Amino acid sequence: MIGEKKDPRKTFGKAVSDIAEQDERIVVLSADSGFSSGFKEFAAAHPDRYFEFGIMEQGVTGIASGLATTGKIPVFCAIAPFVTCRNYEMFRNDLGYMRQNAKLVGRNCGFTYSDLGATHHSLEDFAIMRMIPGVVVLAPQSPDEIRAASKAMLEHEGPVYMRIGNPKIPELYDGEREFEIGKGQLLRDGNDLAIISTGSTTVYALEAAEKLAEKGVSAMIIGMPTVCPIDEEMVLMAAKKVGRIMTVEEHYSHGGLGTLVAEVCAEKAPVPVKMHGIPKEYATSGPYEELLRYYKLDADGITRTALEFLGK
Amino acid sequence: MNERTVKELRLIAEKCRRNVLRMVEASHHGHLGGAFSAMDIVTALYFYKMNVRPEDPKWEDRDRFLLSAGHKSMVQYAVLAEKGYFDKSVLDTYGGFKTQIPGHPDMFKLPGIEANTGALGHGLSIAMGMALGLRSQKKDAKVYAVMGDGELAEGSNWEAAAAAAHYRLDNLTAFVDFNGLQISGKVQDVMNFTPIAQHFAAFGWAVRDIDGNNMEEIVETLDSLPLEKGKPSLIVAHTIKAKGLSFGENIASFHYWEPNDEDLRKGIDEVEARISALEKELEEAGK
Repeated sequence: MIGEKKDPRKTFGKAVSDIAEQDERIVVLSADSGFSSGFKEFAAAHPDRYFEFGIMEQGVTGIASGLATTGKIPVFCAIAPFVTCRNYEMFRNDLGYMRQNAKLVGRNCGFTYSDLGATHHSLEDFAIMRMIPGVVVLAPQSPDEIRAASKAMLEHEGPVYMRIGNPKIPELYDGEREFEIGKGQLLRDGNDLAIISTGSTTVYALEAAEKLAEKGVSAMIIGMPTVCPIDEEMVLMAAKKVGRIMTVEEHYSHGGLGTLVAEVCAEKAPVPVKMHGIPKEYATSGPYEELLRYYKLDADGITRTALEFLGK
Repeated sequence: MNERTVKELRLIAEKCRRNVLRMVEASHHGHLGGAFSAMDIVTALYFYKMNVRPEDPKWEDRDRFLLSAGHKSMVQYAVLAEKGYFDKSVLDTYGGFKTQIPGHPDMFKLPGIEANTGALGHGLSIAMGMALGLRSQKKDAKVYAVMGDGELAEGSNWEAAAAAAHYRLDNLTAFVDFNGLQISGKVQDVMNFTPIAQHFAAFGWAVRDIDGNNMEEIVETLDSLPLEKGKPSLIVAHTIKAKGLSFGENIASFHYWEPNDEDLRKGIDEVEARISALEKELEEAGK
């Protein structure tokens, strides 16, 4: 963990707004959600490129498609379940099937809206978005990576879903790293176990690696900011080199990153895979840190789960 | 009103109905009822109103047409074929493996299709986004959408209806093909959205009720667009389901037609007789 923690929403809004200064095709859509997504200044500076629609995520998704057919690059950010579950068929048909160049961003993802309860959690967004052919699914892991992923998302031609959280998050490493859609990052080498993590949990996976090292366990840590398409090469490298993989994500343990990794392993390099996430239930509510602890997604929980997986 | 123009459009509409029956000849099934009820409107749009280039279907200044009720796809295929977007032999592949003209339109398979519609309640939002995008590019191009009456029960339509009025999109015109029948029976019995015009007017649209199978009235309405400056236009086109197939008109089961050879022949004969009669009338008038 490096430096001061930063607000993911403001970081995202600023990143897109900065790029939009240079690219007039970018328009921002809001379902009463734009100001809370970091676009208040953009809205004031560019009223002709900021469109407010009120709370109608299905409509906005279709409208994004129509705008994209005219060459615009619409960016629509709102609370994650409302840009994935609520509008799923619009995402599938109007953006996916129509292959439109629109970017939907789910903020307050996972259970970062912890105390608001299960209606406002998104623990299945990876699972459902990855099933739409041609849709890229991103989950950047740090403020720097949110900036880099926003740039990559806007440069990519086609529909993208990106999820970002709510609580302030730290940097994972010094300086910006090259970000390429579909590429994972080897953050720490190791021999006993490979932990593949995405989004919010990667910082805790790195902490867990320290704790595991104290117990004599050498953990490889892979950050996977692109959930779909999964970086097969990186997964196969881990499977072949370490032979034991644990996935970690703020998502249901099945259907998301874990399933994507397990699919690669099952077909190309069968090794034991422990899929660590939230069990399929309507997650409980409370302070975010307590939820992380309860679902064993903090550094201690990841450490204990890894040790159990290793039979230690 | 130029009477000859109206008559010519009626002739084209009948030729397009024949194109629909050519697709039914190939597959022995199809959503005929809605294709025939909406035929006069779609024909008038493409052959009288819209600024399009069949030889350059993606021309950026073109007017856009969206069939929100995508199951009526045969109406659009028939009109696009007649307009010269693709060779009419494609019509003979309807229902076939990997056809360019599936049961619901696919913009990547056929020139002239603007959106992959078919799931009901999507078209108006997409059309609204197109209209907003074109206006913000200061283009004069217009957007036309044809919706079904049954699909008005989809709530997403009303999201788009509110947004189009809020953004004062007078470059957007939507037609409701109000043939009054859906699979389970009368639209008003299934879920009543009448009076349709008043519903849209309350959302801020300029509205008009017309006879959607009367070419003269359609042309007159198209000449009046936008109905009001600063408002999207909504035309409630009162139509007859399966209009032009005498033994199927106003019968809900003709929503999806699987004819035997005899009925199909009968339908073709009827349409061809009208084509001959209109050609004769036009020829005589031209003398």
